[in-house]
Amino acid sequence: MAGARPAAPERRRFTLSDRQVGILFMLPFIVTAALFMVWPVVEAVRMAFYAYNPLRPDDIYWVGFENFERIFDDPLFWESFRQALVWTGWSILFQTVLGVALALLLNLTLPGMAIFRGLLLFPYIVPTVVIALNWRWIFNSEIGIVNHALLSAGIISENIAWLSTPDMAMLSAILLNVWKYTPFVVICVLARLQTIPTELYDAAKVDGAGAWRRFMDITLPMLKEVLVVVIVFRTIWTFNKFEEIYLLTRGGPGTSTFNLAVYAFEEGMANLRLGVAAATGVVMIALLLVGTIIYVRVSGFGREEKTA
Amino acid sequence: MTRRDVMLRLFLYAALTAVTFLVCFPLIWAFFTSMKPKDEIFLWPPTLWPSTWTLENYRALLVGRDAYFQAGGSSGGTPPPSAFFLDWFWNSVIVTVCTTLITTIVSTLAAYSLTRFSFPGQRAVPYLALVGYMVPSIIFVFPMFLVMVDLRLTDTLLSLIMGYVCITLPFSMWLMWAFFRGVPVEIEEAALVDGASRLRVFWEIVLPTAWPGIVAAAIFTLIVSWNDYLFGRVFMNSMEKLPLTVGVMHFFDGTHVDWGLMMASSVLMTLPMAILFMLFQRHLVAGFGAGAVKG
Repeated sequence: MAGARPAAPERRRFTLSDRQVGILFMLPFIVTAALFMVWPVVEAVRMAFYAYNPLRPDDIYWVGFENFERIFDDPLFWESFRQALVWTGWSILFQTVLGVALALLLNLTLPGMAIFRGLLLFPYIVPTVVIALNWRWIFNSEIGIVNHALLSAGIISENIAWLSTPDMAMLSAILLNVWKYTPFVVICVLARLQTIPTELYDAAKVDGAGAWRRFMDITLPMLKEVLVVVIVFRTIWTFNKFEEIYLLTRGGPGTSTFNLAVYAFEEGMANLRLGVAAATGVVMIALLLVGTIIYVRVSGFGREEKTA
Repeated sequence: MTRRDVMLRLFLYAALTAVTFLVCFPLIWAFFTSMKPKDEIFLWPPTLWPSTWTLENYRALLVGRDAYFQAGGSSGGTPPPSAFFLDWFWNSVIVTVCTTLITTIVSTLAAYSLTRFSFPGQRAVPYLALVGYMVPSIIFVFPMFLVMVDLRLTDTLLSLIMGYVCITLPFSMWLMWAFFRGVPVEIEEAALVDGASRLRVFWEIVLPTAWPGIVAAAIFTLIVSWNDYLFGRVFMNSMEKLPLTVGVMHFFDGTHVDWGLMMASSVLMTLPMAILFMLFQRHLVAGFGAGAVKG
């Protein structure tokens, strides 16, 4: 059969009917994306310029930039913004350090390692509602096991009100985030670690480099790329996280654990100001686009595609 | 092995066990709490191991509804939230399965088309998927809600399915795109040259090769739609139509919190995901490698 092939190998992929198949395959995605991604985003931006109360749907009017002025004048917006930075910064720091440490540990070849790997990835699939409920239970100030453990270990002398004092509530939320998403860092780093050639380490050992030197000179530079990507992704997602905070603390006590997502939700659901919620969303989109551009730059997304 | 190596190994195992215990502790604790009778749950100091094992919490969730109506509860007042648990569970199952089917099929077809054909605007699609992948659901949810109002679909499971398709499609697409770029086109070309139709090639060559990627994409879609809270909270009103995640939070609305019930529902809610996780762990890790995660 090979002899019957046309001489021109340029006929790579397409005949006319082939092209039609291609468009046919693409069509469901285009329709779905247009209907459920593009339309809502357009709506989101449009809504930011209207005053709209969902309980009075006919009472909708154009307000220009008033929604934006309103949020920029709102101290709660800035408080949420600052708290989102705190929440994101600490979460990412803990996740990255712990994630790299755990990945190094899991990269060792010891018998039974597969079991540890499996169990340590498990938190990622646990529903946020479940872990938020568990957190409220184990961090309960009167009957929670965490206070009991700390008391009996002598670390604290009286019960800590984990969820009802501002700093502790923020800390609990950060711990929850770290618990749930460190596996993400572990998996990404572990995948990269397994591609580092062992010869590099052998050579360094021969040269007399200690474990710490080998980590600093070989492992860390090799991980740089994947870490940047992971950190950018996690920063964008963590900054905009809603459920982890809302389900644990409802933004409280008071407004001490609000981030922008909780702020937008409360404006939309509790205060019924969908326009203001949308304006907050637009600010979030703008911040997120900056993050995405950084990601595209550092990951070489698109460059790779041109050569493919 | 020298003495020092043995010590090092012991230390490493100890460290790993400690970390694993800490990581798994919340769920272990939830499980034991769910098996305790009410008075034992509030014991101080708390004990891990139940002195009396009971299934009363699970019974309240799984057959509580029948018990309630048999006791003549239908004559007045509203049933307790726990009476709706099974409804919520099935709602979540239906919504999750439908979402996964739609998302996986649509994204597989589109990703294949994207890597094998050329058409105008092709370069823009991965960027669209990337942005969709980055946008959090809180930005989508209110405008989506308005779209649902326009379509007269609020408070229906269909609206939830559409919402979840919208948040899962970008990353599913992303993953399938990465997979298809890794599948060499030579075999397909040979088959095409030999006169096989494109559809047959897709069905008999491409799908079997891409199967691991499809499974990974499907599982991530399952996880996201099973775990979501926000869309259910905004789109749904009727008690009997809620997804599990939103329903369970109603246990908090009363004046006192029934932790036993709460922990039993945590266990039941995690169970399907845990089973999936054990069955498909390898696929999941492969999916992570290709960057197909939303979280």
